[in-house]
Amino acid sequence: MAALRLWRWRCRALLSRPAGALRARRGLAAGPEMHFGFQTVTEEERREKIYQVFENVAKKYDVMNDSMTLGIHRVWKDILVHKMNPCPGTLLLDVAGGTGDIAFRFINYVRSVRQRQLQRKLRHHQNLSWQEIFESYQNDKFNNSLGDSQVVVCDINREMLKVGKQKAQHLGYSEGLSWVLGNAEELPFDDDKFDVYTIAFGIRNVTRIDLALQEAYRVLKPGGRFLCLEFSHVSNPLVSRLYDLYSFQVIPVLGEVIAGDWRSYQYLVESIRQFPPQEELKAMIEDAGFFKVDYENLNFGIVAIHSGFKL
Amino acid sequence: MAAAGGLRRAGWRLWRARRAVVRCQQYPPLRALQASAALRAASDEHKKEPWASSSQQHFESPPAGHQPEEKPQGPHPSYTGQGGQESEDYESEEQLQHRILTAALEFVPEHGWTAEAIAEGAKTLGLSVAAAGLFHSDGSELILHFVSDCNTKLTELLKKEQKLVQLGEAEKKPIDEFLRDAVEARLRMLIPYIEKWPQALSVLLLPRNIPSSLSLLTSMIDDIWHYAGDQSTDFNWYTRRAVLTAIYNTTELVMMQDSSPGFEDTWRFLENRVADAMAMSNTATQVQSTGEAVVQGLMGAAVTIKNLAGLNQRR
Repeated sequence: MAALRLWRWRCRALLSRPAGALRARRGLAAGPEMHFGFQTVTEEERREKIYQVFENVAKKYDVMNDSMTLGIHRVWKDILVHKMNPCPGTLLLDVAGGTGDIAFRFINYVRSVRQRQLQRKLRHHQNLSWQEIFESYQNDKFNNSLGDSQVVVCDINREMLKVGKQKAQHLGYSEGLSWVLGNAEELPFDDDKFDVYTIAFGIRNVTRIDLALQEAYRVLKPGGRFLCLEFSHVSNPLVSRLYDLYSFQVIPVLGEVIAGDWRSYQYLVESIRQFPPQEELKAMIEDAGFFKVDYENLNFGIVAIHSGFKL
Repeated sequence: MAAAGGLRRAGWRLWRARRAVVRCQQYPPLRALQASAALRAASDEHKKEPWASSSQQHFESPPAGHQPEEKPQGPHPSYTGQGGQESEDYESEEQLQHRILTAALEFVPEHGWTAEAIAEGAKTLGLSVAAAGLFHSDGSELILHFVSDCNTKLTELLKKEQKLVQLGEAEKKPIDEFLRDAVEARLRMLIPYIEKWPQALSVLLLPRNIPSSLSLLTSMIDDIWHYAGDQSTDFNWYTRRAVLTAIYNTTELVMMQDSSPGFEDTWRFLENRVADAMAMSNTATQVQSTGEAVVQGLMGAAVTIKNLAGLNQRR
């Protein structure tokens, strides 16, 4: 099934490329002007540059995350999964989920909820007759530790997915996990498939955010939830000054020292500043058709979780 | 005296207005929803329309007005969507949340008052389990919804009885019997969920929920007294409500740990408490008259002593 999806994506990718090349040959501008950090580039260039950035940082992505955010990114991702509060049987699509952080946390959470459910069931069983217990063993799938939950990790960058798969193997996650190469602006999935769609620190890198939001709306089931964890706008002036200082002076240096790549991390920090603030993103999500759109600031607005429902 | 009466009536009106405001605040009105309405329509006729495009059309349309809870979900203003479709049943977010919570109630005996029950309820409506994220993860909204539902049912019951009395088909009950029957009827609504009700009580006592749960409780007690025919305009108004609140709360707690068949112990406890309350009002008047008598006796004694001591003589 995943192979079929991959094939479909590859066909679409091949078909879409000639259009851009055609435009360039005609001498017209290949797409509108966009920002890449503080530079101005065209759409096509932006996509390529971002692909290169993540190709370069893929191997050191997790290490850099830990050193840049002093490990706080783990807490942010934990908060995201707690906010999601998934119950067993949930189908999660984690877009731009490259190294699989959200996916692993989701699996852990669902496993513990499932454990509690099974314990409750066993306690309840102590009051039943043998006949009823026998029947329940026949009906339930007691060996399903995840309760039919599944997570699909989708990323546009092959390197990131590779790193993610290695991590999964290393940490021992095999059940309920699948890896798909795909573009957030054009997801290789059918309509009304997923219960929850998350995009953690990825929507900043999407070139056409509105398209990504529309795709999110399309692949979600009615009642499904959209969750977006992203760096956002700090309104507190004191914190903002300290944050700017840290971002522009410390992070690129860390990038050079640890990953040997100053420019990628300069891009990262600049792209955070270019990203629309909380209210604007909320309006964009509402435009895509989501209801009950809300955001929660973490750490004074350094990071914000946006949530919307397809109702 | 008249001023106190006027103040009491103003307080009553304010109370009723606050109740309406609390209901408004709990469920703010928002735009019309299509996807959920589509699921309801899809149960009759199955079609898959591109809701994404039609939803963008409806974004510009004016928001649906505030729908009071008692109003049935009739046809709302119709919009022609894609392909000439017309008059879908649009509903507001509030109504959808109501439907989910009502559907979730049947899963409460199994899962408790939790987000799991809400998720199962959403599943039966054809929505994704992630719709449970619309509510708090501790299930407070579910409990508050249930309590407000029960209060509404109680009010309707009392109104029906009052109508029967007015038409002369039933006799007017004495106050203690009326109170007893009203509290018993209200507590009987808890019986299907009695195992998980202690959990619900503890959630209702969370600081976040206290304003709403308190207002629901007081408005219910108010309703019972209103239909009992209480028209007091003095301090009695407060004492009556305080007494009935105490009776209700204690009976509820007794019911939690009652294991007698048909909850007989609880109803006997209730009977005794109501009788105590009635007796208490008699005792109050007795105490007052006794007090007056005692004071008069003391005054007489004082005058007698003064006479004996010769202090009353005029020289």
